[in-house]
Amino acid sequence: MSLPEGRRRVVITGVGAIGAPFSGDSAALGASLANPQPCFGTLAPGALAGVMDGVDARRLSRVCRLAVAAARLAATDAGGEADAPLGVVVGTELGDLHSTRDFADGYLARGQAGLSALLFPNTVMNTMAAATSIALQARGLSLTINAPGIPGELAVARAAASIAARRAERLLAGGVDELDPYVVEMLGRMGVESGGRGEGAAFLMLETLDGARARGARILGEILAVATGALPARPVGVGRSNRSRVVQLALERTGGRVQDVGWVYASLGGDAARDAWERSVLEAALAPHRPPLAALGMLWGQHAGLGALRIAAAAWTARSGLLPVTSLDEPGVRPRVNITRVSAGLGLVHGVARGGAHAAIVVGPAPVG
Amino acid sequence: MIRAVVTGLGAVTPFGLGVKTYWNGLAAGLCAIRPVTLLDTQGLRCRLAAEVPEVIPGSRRRSRADRLALAAAVEALEDAHLERAERAEVAVVVGAVGGGMFEAEEWYWREAGRGAVEPDRRALGAVLPWSHAEVVANALGLYGPRETLTTACSSGAAALAVASELVTTGMVDLVLAGGVDAITRICYLGFNALKLLDPEPCRPFDRERRGMSIGEGAGFFVLESAEHAAARGARVYAELAGYGMTSDAYHVTSPDPEGRGMARAMVEALTRSGLNAADVGYANAHGTATPQNDRMEGLALRAVFGAEGLLVSSTKSMIGHTMAAAGSLEAMATVLALVHDVIPPTVHLDSPDPEVAFDCVPHRARHAAIEHAISNSFGFGGQNVTLLFRRACT
Repeated sequence: MSLPEGRRRVVITGVGAIGAPFSGDSAALGASLANPQPCFGTLAPGALAGVMDGVDARRLSRVCRLAVAAARLAATDAGGEADAPLGVVVGTELGDLHSTRDFADGYLARGQAGLSALLFPNTVMNTMAAATSIALQARGLSLTINAPGIPGELAVARAAASIAARRAERLLAGGVDELDPYVVEMLGRMGVESGGRGEGAAFLMLETLDGARARGARILGEILAVATGALPARPVGVGRSNRSRVVQLALERTGGRVQDVGWVYASLGGDAARDAWERSVLEAALAPHRPPLAALGMLWGQHAGLGALRIAAAAWTARSGLLPVTSLDEPGVRPRVNITRVSAGLGLVHGVARGGAHAAIVVGPAPVG
Repeated sequence: MIRAVVTGLGAVTPFGLGVKTYWNGLAAGLCAIRPVTLLDTQGLRCRLAAEVPEVIPGSRRRSRADRLALAAAVEALEDAHLERAERAEVAVVVGAVGGGMFEAEEWYWREAGRGAVEPDRRALGAVLPWSHAEVVANALGLYGPRETLTTACSSGAAALAVASELVTTGMVDLVLAGGVDAITRICYLGFNALKLLDPEPCRPFDRERRGMSIGEGAGFFVLESAEHAAARGARVYAELAGYGMTSDAYHVTSPDPEGRGMARAMVEALTRSGLNAADVGYANAHGTATPQNDRMEGLALRAVFGAEGLLVSSTKSMIGHTMAAAGSLEAMATVLALVHDVIPPTVHLDSPDPEVAFDCVPHRARHAAIEHAISNSFGFGGQNVTLLFRRACT
């Protein structure tokens, strides 16, 4: 998928994130990137305090609370009022499996009397998008994208493409997943998870450049192009081929070349086989150029929200000239991170998932003028 | 302007395998809602569903839902006469909800209460909705953009809307898109818990309606740019001329009581297609037969199209509510209505609800040559999708 000719320009005007490493807006993200600390695992208790009122906290499942809280932070960060209807695009890998299991357990324990009409809607994977749309009174497009590995990137790509193609005006796009202990245990015992998982939610406020300027919004960065495709691989498997036109397509849409890529945020996250595949795909796509690379998944654990955070981080790098370069030379060892100054260029956000889904998103600084 | 046209169809439905079987059942006004065989329904208020009656082709190592999807996808690609060499750049967009939950439930039900147990790799590896797109794309060699959309009961329609966007914005020339769902315990028990299932076959738009009937199936389309279709001499069934996607932002399980979100989806579809309400002759309604849905949809249809002239029917009266497949299977019924000049009926409609003041084509299919038709799909979370089809130029 590439943005078409004559597209509208799409900018990022807000960031909201809830997660173990930090919770907050674009400023909080910038502070965490400038001084990155490894932080895996579950969200600290009380992380939602001040973001979520008591009614929402009681009414919503945990993963819905994460989504609503992050979306509210992003909407607040974007500031101001807009006339255009708001929409929501949510990426998720696992959805609300916790509620699904609770629903099944209720029946297995008590038969029909144990069936919960309140839990049942949460067994449908659009429950986070629905809760977010209701909480923010977003009456435009509402989509949930379910994908392995890179649902956050795919959600932002879908949203950016829709805005560029005049299908939507303003969209909150991002992702959410929670670390349900039972699900994590099962994944581990199936041997499909060798990478570190995190949990959390992150959303970006995306809108047209013209719309953002008209309302005097602060612009954090621009999504210059997106492209998605797939590499051959078995479902949940790692493929052999490293040939893909996705990066090339994304760059073509910007009028840029491989050597214009100034830095890369990759989806590397500690799943050794998948990471090796992604590095091979990147090397093949960018050769002989080898731009510096950041791997936030190595630091903060993979979850659907991280895809959106990588895109927000690329916009931060475009603004600040700083990149948390991740050393990947010692497999099995926690990576070292060095904050490096990078020269101006295009930021590439790159994702490859088990099963073959592939995304490239080119990010630049806020347009001047 | 790039137009998206339908050049291939594939279906597995409660009538059986194949598009021809599906259409013959709809046109004959047959009801495929029968006693459930896949699940234990002892003690439940409703014990009926519209199950796929035949053995579904494909390896039993795959989930029932993956096999439904693959069978329909293969038929659609063959129907479009797409050779393997042409498939590499084809995008895949799948609307899904239940994933491979049927098999995962079998394992979980069996193991419940036993403490630590070994996971069933086959069942759990395919449990999530994204499994269908992965299986279909990799089995058929489709390496274009790949998306799995979950918008509850409108998922299949959302997949077609997004596929249309991919084509009309020039991102790809060809998309395989559709929806799929197999009956699962969680879905069946959940709708029972909400008391939304009719103990008898559902009766959309009837004043005595008591709820829906659950179904299962898969419906896939090949959508491509009109230019691409013309260049390769493909047969065109219809044009997907517009769509609308909105959210009620009202309640997780209840639609907006005035049907405003539904109406906005229909208006969006009209606007995108450049048509007026009077240009549309037929609406394949969401028509679940729940008291709320049918009344709200009636209000929304009336607000957009007025009370005169529009033919409305619910094919759920024959194949039940096929969940994530409903949007694509009902879109297919809409396309086939344009192709055959026949409006499929609403069966079991004995005493029409005066609040749904339309000709709902009761009992028998009707001959009607129309130019444009819509297909409505709505879902939990206030998800509204309207697809608008135009008859193919002859």
